[in-house]
Amino acid sequence: MNGAVSRQCEGLGPLSPIPHPLSPSSLDDLLRHPGLWRAREQGGAALQPGLPTGFASLDRCLPGAGWPLQGLVEILTDRNGIGELSLLMPVLARLCGGEHEDGWLAWISPPHQPYAPALAACGIDLRRVLVIRGQAAEWAMEQALRSGACSAVLGWAACRDRLSLRRLQLAAEQSRCLAVLFRRLRDGSEPSPAVLRIALDGDRDGLEVRILKSRGGHAMSVRLGWASFATRAIAQ
Amino acid sequence: MSLPGKHRVPPEVSPSPSPASGRSRLKPALGGGNRNGTDEPARSVAPAGELWLAIHLPNYILESLWQSAAAASEAAAGADTGHVVVVDPGRGGKVVCACGVTATAAGVAPGMALNSALALLPDARVLARDSRRERTLLETVAMMALDFTPRVNLDPPDGVLLEVRGSLRLFGGVRPLCARVGERLRARGLAPRIALTPTRLASLWFARSGIEVVLRRPEALAGRLAALPLACTRWPERSLRSLATMGVRAVGDCLRLPRDGFTRRFELQMRLDLDRALGHAPDPRAAFVPGERFAARRDLEPELADTARLQRACEPLLDELCAFLQTRGASVESLELRFLHRDAPPTRLRLRFAEPVMAVVRIAALLRERLARAEWPEPVRSVRLRSGPLSEARAQAGDLFAPDRRRASAVPQLVERLRARLGDEAVHGLCLVPEHRPEAAWEKEEIGDILLFQKTGKGECPLFPLFPGQRPVWLLAEPQRLDGEEQPHYQGALELEEGPERIESGWWDGRDVRRDYYVARTPAGARVWIFRERRTPGGWFLHGVFG
Repeated sequence: MNGAVSRQCEGLGPLSPIPHPLSPSSLDDLLRHPGLWRAREQGGAALQPGLPTGFASLDRCLPGAGWPLQGLVEILTDRNGIGELSLLMPVLARLCGGEHEDGWLAWISPPHQPYAPALAACGIDLRRVLVIRGQAAEWAMEQALRSGACSAVLGWAACRDRLSLRRLQLAAEQSRCLAVLFRRLRDGSEPSPAVLRIALDGDRDGLEVRILKSRGGHAMSVRLGWASFATRAIAQ
Repeated sequence: MSLPGKHRVPPEVSPSPSPASGRSRLKPALGGGNRNGTDEPARSVAPAGELWLAIHLPNYILESLWQSAAAASEAAAGADTGHVVVVDPGRGGKVVCACGVTATAAGVAPGMALNSALALLPDARVLARDSRRERTLLETVAMMALDFTPRVNLDPPDGVLLEVRGSLRLFGGVRPLCARVGERLRARGLAPRIALTPTRLASLWFARSGIEVVLRRPEALAGRLAALPLACTRWPERSLRSLATMGVRAVGDCLRLPRDGFTRRFELQMRLDLDRALGHAPDPRAAFVPGERFAARRDLEPELADTARLQRACEPLLDELCAFLQTRGASVESLELRFLHRDAPPTRLRLRFAEPVMAVVRIAALLRERLARAEWPEPVRSVRLRSGPLSEARAQAGDLFAPDRRRASAVPQLVERLRARLGDEAVHGLCLVPEHRPEAAWEKEEIGDILLFQKTGKGECPLFPLFPGQRPVWLLAEPQRLDGEEQPHYQGALELEEGPERIESGWWDGRDVRRDYYVARTPAGARVWIFRERRTPGGWFLHGVFG
């Protein structure tokens, strides 16, 4: 995807001026033409560095070397308990301290009660945790993202219509916080504006992380053994 | 305070109608050191530099009735108020206690029988006096006075006192200040008398006598007070009469009387009053404390059922509330709105804020959310707003160099907005409880408490050893019974990985447990936290899921 893709067609008009087809200056001119769209520069600005996930093999697969801070992250899984939160715990613990000290972690309509002793054991500051329950999960998530009060927003919502997804994505882009939306595996077949979509599947040996969509990156798959989770737990 | 002439031979009060001022006297006079020829100058005890502005409302009875009645129909009131005759229902309602301009011109006067008044002015409007409204009027004036100074005293039924020393510079001096106060009161349709002197009582006496003086030097007090008739002191009628028979009619005459004789013959209060008026004795009074809550109502004409219009109809009430809070430097944490209907019971809306607020924008934003959610059985005909208890407003000091504090202030607003739509229970925080039973080891925490702890720096997480075993991120609200006797099943046969961790006892609160906990893995790779019940009938239960 690193070449220039031309969307030129009849309606766009000629790419002028082109003094010589092969001179380097003409290539620069060509690249500056507004009719050109380069996949790498999607979103205008250069790629923002992400937050390290805490798993080196996963970091290598993500374009910003970590969780993107601008835009929605979708995690698709059908089962709770296969490690979907263990995957996030390192970054959540990191978001509770240091430069992110003021930010809160919002848990929006979680499937079960987040268990305080376990969160504390993972290094999360409980005084920064906000649990929100209720019917309008998408609305609550958007409010949390737009408020600027949170450094991470985790939401469990079906998001049936594309409009609400789009709104969430816009809110996530404008806020500088980690926005994670948990959905079902079958939703992976539908298009989504999220910057990163990850499908999780586990078995007795480890966690299969399939990157379905990654803006600025590639779709790929990485396997995290349970051992890597265990070593993280010991390191803490 | 020690009396200057306490140990002397008690002299006679001179019965002569006008004690000669030039005569040399040995006895100390009530005027103390402020009069020439006295050997014992009295020390002034009034705190240096206090300046008291007294507002006296001579027509308070009438004005209290107009304030409420006339607001609605001002034009009509202008023509009508002159004919008003007010009677006191508490005393049989037969005696006129106040009357309007036209009535006065017709010869009606306070103290006259109602029948005589009606004979003089047949088309008089007879109103009953309302002491509650009179009190409200006085408090309204005091509220307005709080705009000029924080030190305000009430002098029921018709006086308000303001200590204005500290406000002089702000309002550009004594006279502009008096003019401003007068203007504000006249704008409300009141006819005040305003006087300013270094002591409370002197100011009041001048105002009651209708003399609008501005007197800044305490030394000049005695001389100026001397001319005032004694009626302005409001001493008991009997004492005034007996003073009058002695030819003592003005304050000055009183000051010339020998101190100890006056004390023996009349109430102690009277001598004290004289001392206080001159600034020789302290005059402590309870400060005016504005009401603890705000309450206001607005009738809607026509009745409304449309949310957007209701919001607009509530806005003046919110503005009033915020002006109210501003005056007191206070903020509120909760509000109650009652929407009255024609037949249906009133609809109540409670607004709760995550932190005390005083900004109208925030209150209005929250109200909008709540109104959008409310259901109206019938159109609304009247709105009543009542504030919760007030708390002191805390202004957040900005920090020039600190990083963006936007987040800290954004949380309460987020919580309010979420609560307004999802309900109060929908948003909470978490905290640890030192408890060994898994379900009791945590609690929901009120967000307001967390914020308070963060501000004060208190409320660190309780320190206690973390559990030896692992704890799941998800805890089920109720343990879920699993199939299988020896081998538990949950989404397939479970494989036990760790355990057992025995957790038991809890007899002290009736929730005794005896369990062996295990970490198990499902065939799909999910880790779960299960326990085996050790009490009969036993069995396996799922209690948590490792996320």
